[in-house]
Amino acid sequence: RRARGWCPRPVMVAVPPSPSAPGGPEPPPPLQYSMLLQHLVGEQRRPRAWDPGALGGIPSPPKSEEQKMVERAMESCAFKAALACVGGFVLGGAFGVFTAGIDTNVGFDPKDPYRTPTAKEVLKDMGQRGISYAKNFAIVGAMFSCTECVVESYRGKSDWKNSVISGCITGGAIGFRAGLKAGVIGCGGFAAFSAAIDYYLR
Amino acid sequence: MTQACHRKCVPPHYKDAELSKGESVCLDRCVAKYLEVHERMGKKLTELSLQDEELLRRVQQGAGTA
Repeated sequence: RRARGWCPRPVMVAVPPSPSAPGGPEPPPPLQYSMLLQHLVGEQRRPRAWDPGALGGIPSPPKSEEQKMVERAMESCAFKAALACVGGFVLGGAFGVFTAGIDTNVGFDPKDPYRTPTAKEVLKDMGQRGISYAKNFAIVGAMFSCTECVVESYRGKSDWKNSVISGCITGGAIGFRAGLKAGVIGCGGFAAFSAAIDYYLR
Repeated sequence: MTQACHRKCVPPHYKDAELSKGESVCLDRCVAKYLEVHERMGKKLTELSLQDEELLRRVQQGAGTA
């Protein structure tokens, strides 16, 4: 992509050609129109440095190459998916530990149903549930974020339909392992859930 | 170009100060298309004007020798 700093509409100059040569062998001078065009968009155009501040925005210092690279990395789909994965892991871990606390069925011994579970058993159960929830949340979060980013890059727009479509894809992919009908239900449910979250956040 | 791409890519209801990913992708594509169309039009116009020039030259030579 070449940068242009000049006005996007070339000036159409219709200059009549110079008076015809008196029949001699000298060629007539070139038309000014074509010369102008050659200088503006043809072979002889000058490369110009493009200063974004000159286009009427608030003047700001030009960004360095490293800054541009870092910003590009932070806006990429992979980074967003990784962020959602880590966030999902943390959230899932917390959620799993919390539900382990309120769901008391640890250490149930059929021979002695009133035995209180030992601390080691309780902690082990909390850890297991926390890890299992964390992994699930991380995978779901990463998938949702990745598909949403890809869909948004493809469509070129950012509105509510992106999260609905990616919710359907994620829910469908999760539910599809349990059969087609579960996949369809998962798609609809997750799409509705993400539409509701989106509506609430906007 | 700024006006055209802003009209096409940035919907008028602003929710955020930063450009979202979809909008940046759209602006990228808009600028690339604009510049390519511009270049092609320029080449075509140059071609047309060269043809005109040829025609004029032939007419002049014809008028000169006649």
